[in-house]
Amino acid sequence: MVAFAESLKNKGDMSIDGALSALEATRLAGSIRNSLYLFPFLESLHVVGLTMVFGTIAVLDLRMLGIASTRRPVSRIAMDVETWAWMAFVLTAATGALMFTTNATVYYYNIFFRLKMAMLVLAGVNVVMFNRTARRSIERWNTDATAPSSGRAAAMVSLLLWIAIIFMGRWIGFTTTRVTGSKPDPNINIEDLLPK
Amino acid sequence: MTQFTGWLSQTSLSLTIQTHEWVIPTVQSIHIVAIGVALVSAFMIAFRVLGWTGSDQTLAETTARFWPWLLGSLCVLLLTGVLMVVGEPARELLAFSFWLKMCLVAIGTALTWWIGRSSARPLTVLTLIIWVSVIFLGRLIAYDHIWGSWSHSPKA
Repeated sequence: MVAFAESLKNKGDMSIDGALSALEATRLAGSIRNSLYLFPFLESLHVVGLTMVFGTIAVLDLRMLGIASTRRPVSRIAMDVETWAWMAFVLTAATGALMFTTNATVYYYNIFFRLKMAMLVLAGVNVVMFNRTARRSIERWNTDATAPSSGRAAAMVSLLLWIAIIFMGRWIGFTTTRVTGSKPDPNINIEDLLPK
Repeated sequence: MTQFTGWLSQTSLSLTIQTHEWVIPTVQSIHIVAIGVALVSAFMIAFRVLGWTGSDQTLAETTARFWPWLLGSLCVLLLTGVLMVVGEPARELLAFSFWLKMCLVAIGTALTWWIGRSSARPLTVLTLIIWVSVIFLGRLIAYDHIWGSWSHSPKA
């Protein structure tokens, strides 16, 4: 972080490009780039996190749409999944941010990255709107098989946005080249790391 | 196996996938959406056993809600998985991560079935670890070289 602030000051360049390359120049970004294992590890954790975010939110959305768990009150389902969804979201955002630092300029200008960020904002707006509308009167429809139309709309928008976010994320991987300082060493085998 | 991947990569379906660049990312995206459904279905059963979620329901009710969704999503995963294997046979079938993942998917499915009926707590923790490992190994197919000589994947 100090190195990041330093490089910003030294360059005297507060433009976004300057900030992005300063981010790439941090020791943190460098060590992720130079490690053979860190980036794949972060990616895997990112997938664990994002699949949990999508899966838990889908449980609630499908309940509001009247497709699954219809005999349980909506508020119970929300209690079950919301904490897990938030924890998984924090994990996904943190690992995503770390991956971003390794190649910030390329990701920043990638169209799929930008679409993904825009959709994440929309998903947030959708939650806020739901909390201000249908959720206010949840006692009235808590045990109904389906949510009122504004709730069903929010659930449908949520499902579609999260699926689209997953697609955008995968496309980022196919439209950016990962920068890496590490090449697999043909002389190092996993056996060497194991007890003989 | 190298002979088989060579033959598979020359089949017309494989060639079609190889020449249409959008197919692999699309199939992988559907695969990840289905992983979300599968993982959380297994987790909801496991979390119920551990008493973390669904305490207003019996384990049998929780299993009845999530087991069919686990099986359904596993079918989607199998279908999209087969398409990925056909599209890039050597990358998948020669990868150590791929075969270890397949073993763990089988064990994870069997364990989830078992804990949904018996509520064995130590096995439940193992089940959670196995499903997370499955996701790690799936991603590691792209980095199979980290296994050194255990990997026969062509792209190092």
